[in-house]
Amino acid sequence: MSVFEGLRFRNISSPIHRIDPRAKFIYVCILFAIAVLFSQLIPLLILFFSQIPLVIMAKVKREWLRLMRGTMFFAALIFITNMISLYFYGGYPSLLSIIERSVAMTLRFIILVESFSIFFATTSPDMLSLSLEQMGVPYEFCFAFITAIRFVPVLAEEAQSIMDAQKARGLELERGNFIKRIRNYIPILIPLIVSAIRRSMELAEAMESRAWGASKKRTNLYTLKMGVKDYLFISISIIILVLSLYVCFFVYIPSLAELIRFG
Amino acid sequence: MAILETRNLTYTYPFAENPAIKDINLTIEKGEFVIITGPSGCGKTTLCRCFNGLIPHFYGGNLEGDVIVAGLNTREHPIYELAKHVGLVFQNPENQLFALTVEKDVAFGLENLGLPREEIHRRVDWALRVTGIYDLKDRAPFELSGGQQQRVAIASVLAMQPEIIVLDEPTSFLDPLSAKSILESIYQLNRELGITVILVEHRLDLAVRYANRVIIMDQGRIILDNSPREVFLDARVKLIGVGLPKVVRLYLLLREDNVDLGRTPLSPEELSDLIVGVLKSDKS
Repeated sequence: MSVFEGLRFRNISSPIHRIDPRAKFIYVCILFAIAVLFSQLIPLLILFFSQIPLVIMAKVKREWLRLMRGTMFFAALIFITNMISLYFYGGYPSLLSIIERSVAMTLRFIILVESFSIFFATTSPDMLSLSLEQMGVPYEFCFAFITAIRFVPVLAEEAQSIMDAQKARGLELERGNFIKRIRNYIPILIPLIVSAIRRSMELAEAMESRAWGASKKRTNLYTLKMGVKDYLFISISIIILVLSLYVCFFVYIPSLAELIRFG
Repeated sequence: MAILETRNLTYTYPFAENPAIKDINLTIEKGEFVIITGPSGCGKTTLCRCFNGLIPHFYGGNLEGDVIVAGLNTREHPIYELAKHVGLVFQNPENQLFALTVEKDVAFGLENLGLPREEIHRRVDWALRVTGIYDLKDRAPFELSGGQQQRVAIASVLAMQPEIIVLDEPTSFLDPLSAKSILESIYQLNRELGITVILVEHRLDLAVRYANRVIIMDQGRIILDNSPREVFLDARVKLIGVGLPKVVRLYLLLREDNVDLGRTPLSPEELSDLIVGVLKSDKS
């Protein structure tokens, strides 16, 4: 769970939290695009470190660090796969350049996770659903999204108590081979699913009792409005994108290996 | 004028062989505080579902007879229309709150009705103040205690300004202390705002002092329907298996020993006053 902690919304106030989710989303998309645009280490390093001020501004440093630690496993996996494939098929001149390339690929992955984390940790699901709604997504879908998020902690708690109950009755989860272990979870999954279905029935009842579907034009308690700072944020993101496109196509980017050799 | 009326109401759930409630004739006047009680499976919850149209619109099944709420026949009006008149609060507070903040949750019904935004803000603030949870406005429902969650649930139906609030065992997930304070708040709604309250409750000890009418059900039928001071004097109450309030039990025991307290007490305070009164008159 700790890996996902970094993606969970923190209800605190910061300049980043106050930016419109749509503006933030555009920023994340642009960051994605830039990360995919470059395959050299130096621009990716710059991109990676340029996110850190944002993380500090959003006051989600601890979650971010935890997420970074959590991604280490996948990062290592990507690094090793890259190393092996580049060593055998890449035709790179030196080991140093192979390492550089692999590090770059790994960094690209980390940047994607990092930007996602900034987006989700600073955007309340309510705001997210609101922005989806205002972009024309039907309310039913937004409601389903919010409800899913709302019930994650509830279901997690329930799974834990079912697990405790079954253990108290002698169920051993960590025993046997791989297949056996998976089968061990059946006595946990069935009650969990049954209770989730029952819960959804009760939920539907409660929704109906509160005039669900009464009016075609549903009011929203809040509306999102893009302000000056949001447009500024988008403009900066676009400028960064244009600059990176320029650098990518017209500027020669030296590799770190070359810099070391000649510098 | 009756605000809620059922005529020969019989209902069978889909795929069920026997009706869950049989031949219910009930008239509830505006401003009453009615407690419905009875053993598990006696049809209390089913009856509640009939009051706001969940039966038959949501559950299907076979409904005979009529339910008329605030002049509307539940057969002919959709649930969302009835929801403006009847607020239903359920047993498990966790499963009736869906939003990520208390404020959004209380606003949910009003948003569905498509009211103007200022009106929603006004009513939400009002409902939060009446139920005493204004300070929790920005909290997430799942962070709250059971009692607070149940208050949110009550606020969220209250915001729709119904004439009737039906509460289906609202305290069964709560500890005695929060149960007591929830019941007090419900009574306050009844007394100060004149909202008709229909309360399904097992904790008669705590609830009965607020009611002016107690209905006891068994096997889908209404067995007894009387004022709380009268209803427990009927010998059938014990046979059905309804737990008598402790003060009533003490009253009955004393009566067997020829100590007449004059009237059935409904709360420990009242009981002690009556006993003191009897003792004093004995002395003089």
